[in-house]
Amino acid sequence: MSAATTSAVSGDARATVDADPPRGTLRRAVALLDVDRRRVLLAVVLGTLALGCAVALAAVAAWLIARASQMPPVLVLSVATVGVRAFGVGRGVLRYVERLVSHDVALRGMTQLRTTLYERLAAGSPAALVPLRRGDLLARVGEDVDAVGDVVVRGLLPAAVAALLGVGTVAAMTVLWPPAGAALALALLLAGVVAPAVTARTARLTERRAAAGRARRSAAALALVDDAGPLAVAGLADERLRALRDADADVAAAVDAGAPSSALAAALGPLAQGLAVLAALVTGIPAVRRGDLAATDLAVVVLTPLAAFEATALLPAAATQLHRSRAAAARVLALLDATTPHPTPAPAATSGAAPAPGAAPVPAGAGLHARGLACGWPGRPPVVAGLDLDLVPGRSVAVVGPSGTGKTTLLLTLAGLLPPTGGLVALDGRPVGAWPAADLPHHVVATLEDAHVFGTTVLENLRVARGDVTEAEAAAALRRVGLGPWLAALPDGLATRLGPDARTVSGGERRRLLLARALLTHAPLLLVDEPAEHLDPALADALVTDLLRGAANGAADGAADGAADGAADGAGDGPNGGRGVLVVTHRLTPLAAADEVVLLGDGGVVDRGTHAELLARRADYREARRREGEGDAG
Amino acid sequence: MKPLDPRLLRHARAARAYLALTVATGVLTAGLVVAQALLLARALGGAVQDGLDLAAVGDEVVALAAVVLARVLVVGVQERFAHRAATRAVAELRAGVVERAVALGPRWLAAGRGPELVTLATRGLDALEPYFVRYLPQLVLAATVTPAALLVVLGLDRVSAAVVVGTLPLVPVFMVLVGRLTEGRSARGLRGMQTLAAQTLDLLAGLPTLRALGRERGPAARVRELGDAHRRATMGTLRIAFLSGMVLELLTTLSVALVAVGIGLRLVGGHLPLVTGLAVLVLAPEVYAPLRQVGAQFHASTDGVAAAEAAFAVLETPLPPRGTHPAPDLARTALRLHGVAVRQPTGALAPEGLDLEVRPGRVVALVGTSGSGKTTAVEVLLGLLRPDAGAARLVAVDGTGPALDLADVDPATLWSQVSWLPQRPVLEPGTVAALVGGDAPVRERAAALTGLDAVVAALPDGWGHRVGAGGTGLSVGQRQRVALTRALVSPAPLVVLDEPTAHLDAHGEEVVLRTVETLRASGRAVVLVAHRASLAAVADDVVVVRAAAATEMEADRPAAPAPAGTPRAATVAAGRSDAPVPEVVR
Repeated sequence: MSAATTSAVSGDARATVDADPPRGTLRRAVALLDVDRRRVLLAVVLGTLALGCAVALAAVAAWLIARASQMPPVLVLSVATVGVRAFGVGRGVLRYVERLVSHDVALRGMTQLRTTLYERLAAGSPAALVPLRRGDLLARVGEDVDAVGDVVVRGLLPAAVAALLGVGTVAAMTVLWPPAGAALALALLLAGVVAPAVTARTARLTERRAAAGRARRSAAALALVDDAGPLAVAGLADERLRALRDADADVAAAVDAGAPSSALAAALGPLAQGLAVLAALVTGIPAVRRGDLAATDLAVVVLTPLAAFEATALLPAAATQLHRSRAAAARVLALLDATTPHPTPAPAATSGAAPAPGAAPVPAGAGLHARGLACGWPGRPPVVAGLDLDLVPGRSVAVVGPSGTGKTTLLLTLAGLLPPTGGLVALDGRPVGAWPAADLPHHVVATLEDAHVFGTTVLENLRVARGDVTEAEAAAALRRVGLGPWLAALPDGLATRLGPDARTVSGGERRRLLLARALLTHAPLLLVDEPAEHLDPALADALVTDLLRGAANGAADGAADGAADGAADGAGDGPNGGRGVLVVTHRLTPLAAADEVVLLGDGGVVDRGTHAELLARRADYREARRREGEGDAG
Repeated sequence: MKPLDPRLLRHARAARAYLALTVATGVLTAGLVVAQALLLARALGGAVQDGLDLAAVGDEVVALAAVVLARVLVVGVQERFAHRAATRAVAELRAGVVERAVALGPRWLAAGRGPELVTLATRGLDALEPYFVRYLPQLVLAATVTPAALLVVLGLDRVSAAVVVGTLPLVPVFMVLVGRLTEGRSARGLRGMQTLAAQTLDLLAGLPTLRALGRERGPAARVRELGDAHRRATMGTLRIAFLSGMVLELLTTLSVALVAVGIGLRLVGGHLPLVTGLAVLVLAPEVYAPLRQVGAQFHASTDGVAAAEAAFAVLETPLPPRGTHPAPDLARTALRLHGVAVRQPTGALAPEGLDLEVRPGRVVALVGTSGSGKTTAVEVLLGLLRPDAGAARLVAVDGTGPALDLADVDPATLWSQVSWLPQRPVLEPGTVAALVGGDAPVRERAAALTGLDAVVAALPDGWGHRVGAGGTGLSVGQRQRVALTRALVSPAPLVVLDEPTAHLDAHGEEVVLRTVETLRASGRAVVLVAHRASLAAVADDVVVVRAAAATEMEADRPAAPAPAGTPRAATVAAGRSDAPVPEVVR
């Protein structure tokens, strides 16, 4: 790729699938593997010696037979006979050791890269993680890191071995008969450079041509399996199956289009070998007649090429691996680069002491205070704007609004997990953006809908909140969120292992488990996203009421009261011993327990006040509340 | 899986022609390998021993060049068609697997098979490509080149043939021995490795959560520990796994070396012509080469082979017998469930002892705690799964004609009369107008009722707005309104709404209530799966769906299906009318 296209590609923000990763991508990623150079060198030497044994076996055997046909004293052949046997043994043994060394190097590298990835992600900007879906993150730390590590064993090592062995073999042949050496060199270049290049190019083109088809194919298969029942009932299953077959036919067509070049690349190997043998034969026979070449050496230069192409035969696969690893490296590096903290652009969020001119001063005092806050995903228009909000320990706020009004986005912004797009959020008199990311969770904790349930016991999953959670505290927290019966039904109680994707937990149970986890932290401010989704109304209202009341009367910590030592965070409890709780919900009935209700809609605050005030003031609020009540009565 | 599983040829027709081609190129290759060795030996032998010049061996050199060209062609042709055949065969298997899974229905998929099946149908089966492109040709070569080269060696030199024949059986013997020796160990190692890898990934996947809770610092050391443990476990397995490769290479190179030394010593004694010796020397490695390649390529295609095994298992799962009786007109037929119980993958029965009746012009609401089997009950009602106990029947409303077991009904004829709005509406790509269906006036009227008119008015292209697969381009609430409008427009006599108010606020709920009223007024039978009491209030009959826990169920599991009509107090009269308690159905 020329420098011009490189810069064009990297300059194009939309360049994604079609664009090749910029130069140096793989080198950067391989550097992150931090491989031990001595071990790599050892692997290369062992690999070269192993394949060298095969070449030497062919060469010495050819010499042995040619010389033997001249019927010399047997003693003349003794070195060759021993050598042949030794090479026969050496190849297998050396190759075994080489494979162990190289795999060890690769595995060490992968561990190093994963640890680095983890450390950088843990220390970097949290905003990098929020937009990543779980599956995507798993793919990058799983398959992609493996693919970067694989390049050592399957890409770089075979290339180094082939190069070293090629140079050695050509040198040996050149000493015996220069034209044969030259022919072998050209043939090796054909098989070891041209063929892999064609293979890699074809693979890349085919991949690009087939990408759309493959994506459609996966989507079609996923949709069919996910919605098998509804599709069958709607009579759409056959149509979707046709779509799946069509997508596969498109992929097949793309593969077909690349097949001639694949065939060419595959044929280059045997062609190169044949040419090397023929060239040695055609130039060597007259040389023997002329006396320029010993007859025994003719056998060596003609027969050695038969064994000399084993290393290059691995290179087309190595080139494909290189390409695959490069793409994986680009994805891993993109993840790493995204975690590098960006300077916060919001002018008001720079310093608490000296607010920028025209910006609202940072509100002083304990708790979370938002002024003129606008939030939204970076690069998209804000979903909420002009929001003022105060959440202090002991106070409870409910945020209500139709779906799609940005309640979750607001929550992420308040928790410091997304930078505000305007206005400011201050925690204890300091802009949230100015807090060290690691300190924020000790003051404000948000329950996120897609938070992770770890593949460990229920208790350990709760201890994620705080390492010293006792069994009694854990059980109390679960009971408080209405998971008492669920806990009682678990085969091993708190010691029950949850599946890695929490298949043993239903959607509602999962959400409440995450809520119990948040309740077990010592953070004085709690932001809770739809705690009662998937619950029946009575239970849902009881849970939300309990959360909101807990703030006011200081009972929020229930079980955690005993653990008031809370030395881990040092944040302590609020003035009246309660927490500040913000609950995002769509049910109005339990909101009598909230100190303030904020109605969101149309990109901002529609109205706010206490539940009673809103009931008195707003007909639509009253109507919605009435309808809920009516529903409950049925 | 056997080296070449006949099931592969049965399930993937593209594989048959390809196998034929591969056998043809394999036979050709065998001939060319032998020809190349003999020609090379004659040309070289003549030059080395008899000092012949190029003209004297010209025929051999020209023929050798022709053989080289022919081999190049054969390799090219094989490769040209290998990828195509692989893609087609995999596509056949994929479509077959997905089709079978859909036919097996939600019950079969529910047992945790869904995600597995998707992985199998996408990435899993793609791993078969190396099997077709690399492994299969080598397997054929092992069946053509190896015996051909061996036979020629036997014809040329009995002693060398004896060495080859003596070592050749050692290859499989040692492979089996090493395999047996390592089997248990590597299986254990593999499990350990998978666990460690899963733990590492779990930790990384949970990082956003750990960060949100301020607990991200500690686990970095754990990631390294797990990585190191994974490496040690993997190396332990590899040390043994690579042994088989080493034995294979050792045997093949060593026996070639022994052949060479043997030939050399007999040449010195003058017992063997040089041309023969050279031919045997060139042919001996060719005997082993395909075997070695088969071993190496099999390693690379094990994932694909495992995927193929899984695919065969799916393809050979017997389909439940499908009813053939055409469904009666649901506008004049009631659907009845009697004592229906369905065993969930967890072992619990959900629902259990369910009685309900769905009649034209009536609204039935299914209520119950989450996990009690409301959606499962709907699937029984729609004939998507057979109950483990109890019966699902169709009975004419006017009492004429016999009751028809749902299992005997051709599901397609039933489904064509059903409009089902599942929890996650299925929206095929197309314009909003096409999604909703019906002609413009009907559509507009329905949209006014569901509030879709406001949504459409706000869309840039109005009714012509294109919706992507899965409803992309619309918000969740908008999708729900589209699906509701569709249910309203559809003339289907049975409408099933599964939690239609989920993710809707109070106003959205009002829309659903209006929709249900309209459906009832038009004489449709409506089944509602209701979470919110307000929704259940609109129903004529409210049926509480209950589950029986796995432990309870073990105690009182009925030996035979519960007799029809066994009174089970699961039907609660509610709403404004007298809920019929289903009478005994014969």
